[in-house]
Amino acid sequence: MRIVVLVKPVPDTTGQERLGPDLRVDRVGVPAVVNANDEYALEAALKLVEAAGEGEVTLLAMAPAGAPETLRKALAMGAHRAVLVTDPALGGSDTLTTVRVLAAALRRLEYDLVLAGADTSDGGGGVVAAGIAVTLGLPYLSYAAKIEPSADRVVVHRLSAVGYDQLEAGLPALVVATQALGEPRYPSLKGIMAARSKEILSWSLADLELGDAPVGGAVTTTAVVETHAPPARAATRVVRGPAGEAAAEVVAFLAERRLI
Amino acid sequence: MSGFEGIFGHVPGYLLVFPLFWGSVVFFALVMARHLRIFAAVRAAGPSPFADVPRRVGGLVRYTLLQTKMFKDPRAGIMHFTIFWGFVLLTIGTANVVTGGAIQAVIQVPAGGVLWTAVSAMQNTVAVLVLLAVGYAFVRRLVTRPRRLAFTRGALIILVLIGGVVASELLAQAFEAARYGSIAGAFVADALAVPLANLAPDVLYAVFTVLWWAHIAIVAIFLGYLPFSKHLHIATAFFNVYFRKLAPRGELPAMDLEAEDATFGLRTLQDLGWKDLLDGFTCTECGRCTAACPANMTGKPLNPREMIMGLRHMAVDAESGLDLIPNSPILRAQAGLDDATPSPTLLATAIVDEAIPFDAVWDCVTCGACVEACPVLIEHVDKIVGFRRNLVLEDSRFPSELTGAFRNMETAGNPWGQPRATRTDWTKGLNFEVPTVAELAAAGRLAEVEVLYWVGCAAAFDERNRKVARAFARCLNAAGVSFAILGQEESCTGDPARRMGNEYVYQILATGNIETLNRYGMAERTIVTACPHCFNSIANEYGQLGGTFQIVHHSVYLQGLLASGRLRTADADADGNPARSVTFHDSCYMARYNNVVAAPRDVLGSMAGIELREMERNGKGSFCCGAGGGRMWMEETRGTRINAERTRQALATGAEVVATNCPFCMTMMKDGLAEAESNAGGVVSAADIAELLADSLAPAIPAGRQLPVLQ
Repeated sequence: MRIVVLVKPVPDTTGQERLGPDLRVDRVGVPAVVNANDEYALEAALKLVEAAGEGEVTLLAMAPAGAPETLRKALAMGAHRAVLVTDPALGGSDTLTTVRVLAAALRRLEYDLVLAGADTSDGGGGVVAAGIAVTLGLPYLSYAAKIEPSADRVVVHRLSAVGYDQLEAGLPALVVATQALGEPRYPSLKGIMAARSKEILSWSLADLELGDAPVGGAVTTTAVVETHAPPARAATRVVRGPAGEAAAEVVAFLAERRLI
Repeated sequence: MSGFEGIFGHVPGYLLVFPLFWGSVVFFALVMARHLRIFAAVRAAGPSPFADVPRRVGGLVRYTLLQTKMFKDPRAGIMHFTIFWGFVLLTIGTANVVTGGAIQAVIQVPAGGVLWTAVSAMQNTVAVLVLLAVGYAFVRRLVTRPRRLAFTRGALIILVLIGGVVASELLAQAFEAARYGSIAGAFVADALAVPLANLAPDVLYAVFTVLWWAHIAIVAIFLGYLPFSKHLHIATAFFNVYFRKLAPRGELPAMDLEAEDATFGLRTLQDLGWKDLLDGFTCTECGRCTAACPANMTGKPLNPREMIMGLRHMAVDAESGLDLIPNSPILRAQAGLDDATPSPTLLATAIVDEAIPFDAVWDCVTCGACVEACPVLIEHVDKIVGFRRNLVLEDSRFPSELTGAFRNMETAGNPWGQPRATRTDWTKGLNFEVPTVAELAAAGRLAEVEVLYWVGCAAAFDERNRKVARAFARCLNAAGVSFAILGQEESCTGDPARRMGNEYVYQILATGNIETLNRYGMAERTIVTACPHCFNSIANEYGQLGGTFQIVHHSVYLQGLLASGRLRTADADADGNPARSVTFHDSCYMARYNNVVAAPRDVLGSMAGIELREMERNGKGSFCCGAGGGRMWMEETRGTRINAERTRQALATGAEVVATNCPFCMTMMKDGLAEAESNAGGVVSAADIAELLADSLAPAIPAGRQLPVLQ
């Protein structure tokens, strides 16, 4: 079982200022962490390989040159190696470039499954995985609550509003993970130590076969025009007291605002 | 008369004493040697017998000869003291018997035997006292049955043996006196002989013979039974006390995370040090640790005594299959034996789930009440943290809610995951500036800093504790203390991570803080903090990582400011402070870990109109709020809530204010008071000593009339 997991180093969400003066995400000044949704995909991949008793989990990221530090944290969880596509020309890339670059990188890798998180906490587009599946012609199985691979097929339970849909596809395939797959593990000290010596391949654009169309920040199709901070949340009101009285108070509060 | 034919000539078969007694000594030694083979199988690291000898001997005197810890339970203390010293003194008589009267032969030479007469009189007196003490011990075991005691057959066997050995000796002497006439000095035996005088000499002789031999037989049985019994402490306690932990109680064992092929933390018996095993073999099951344990008291599975005894049982089990032939290759070859080492399987069994349940490992608040209570100085907390280290660092096995705290500490530098940028938000609303060290350094004014105020995460981010930080800053400002903070450059000290077993995150945070403090030359300044956990880490633990700092807890610092006159409190009359009653809740990490008991009380005592009402468990005997050892970030699902129990104790004093000197205690007591049914309407509130002081300060002295600033 060879699995590639798409991971993205994103700015730490506990930081406050995440946009640089150019209104783009500040990837230098703010410490980076592994995108939380990608950790669910990684956890699922590790569990699949452990269950199969054989196989390899490869991380694939497109990120600035400082990313190995963050990727080591994902390697510490148990992934076997990482591939980092990094190139100065990729700064300011849009979703389309991200899709094309990652798809080109995947063409150079061997895999049975590609796992991705539902979206990232910085861009939040949530379309990269689907774009890659289309580009590479892979079956696309989204919102997985359960992943059951067999020799040449994979069955996925896709979360829906009323339960789940059972999807089946041939391998290789691309699966989008959800939190329902289980909490990401906390790396052990041995995992952290082992991650120090794990392989992180660094590929530049020159290493990928991207064809003739230009990629990167220079040809971005989207631009950030303006940003607004969300309005400050009103103070939380805590209702205390015996259950009956408290419930009545909550109902009155909601009714007053015509919410019920 | 001379020689033992003379002294013991009337004892039939006296010579049999030698094989019987000395044979039992050899058996005792062989069983002990088998115990030692387990010691040889664990880590060799441990305290050196030759370092700190005066301190170690001093401890021996205090804890074994004077038994100071035993007297915290005065009646049990007196009983134990009597039996201990009685045993020591009565040993003279037994030693005399088993050496053929050598002792008597020497002692009765000077001054016509007066000295031996005195010894006999003393022995008679002591025998009566020991019998009274044993009688009281029986009453405790059989009638009053205090909760902390384990009511085992072993305990009763030991009492029967102690009582029997003393009674048989005294009664044998009484029949001896009745048969042969008064014994010099043996006044009790003589008195007991009076009603026996009418019995026939043959009867007296027969009973004497039976009792005399009963005494020797019981001594031999006692020696043979001792190494298998809970009473083994009489052989091991001296060593355990001598080799006690001399490092500050709040300093957990250092850990090398780069060590290759090492087991991280404590997993099996082999990972323990020999001193840890000695702890197990010294436990006497008195239950003081468990009775003091807040987790146990609130119905949680943690039982410190069972953990220590569990280690001992594991060790003894690992011995099974070992014979008594010493571990000498030559001897073993002669005897045709080969199982010279303890059971490899049992030595490799994980301690967690065997000697202590997994849940119990996480119930511990590291309050140290067990360690403080133990009369033979067993270290429970360091072991529990050792188990946690192994579970976290090797298995990633811990309560799931800790994942967030660990990640937050590692990425955001605080357990709550609050943005660093909001670290100085607490200063808003103060009518003076609180500069950061970085600002002062940039302005070339770093030399002005008298103290660095280490705020700590709780005071920086928690709304209630921010008020404490502001109150403390007001006190510093009122005293004219020039202080600064690290601001965004401050991180969690790592205390919660370390005590939750995550040494990796602890060392990241601690080395970062040490680097920051050293960068600003803070090793030469005084650091002051209102957080006992920050205090303990910086004062007692940063040294392991090369950070040496002068740090003072705010209760001590405020006490100093008041004593030197830099801070003055208002008179009740002038300011109209209403009289109020206050109970002080000691934080474990100040009182028990760092001996700071008087300072917060002095601060409270400086304020007019405060009546201090102590809780039953106070000072070094304080009862944890429930938030230590990383429990602040864990759900408390087992048993009842510790803070509810402590709140109940606080409310029982009838005080109007529960004063604290720790941000975690503040949170726990505040929550406890809010939820206590007997505190409906929130009449009783929690307040930090700095808040009470800030509200009691005298109006500022006009400029020009201020007291000189003390350095």
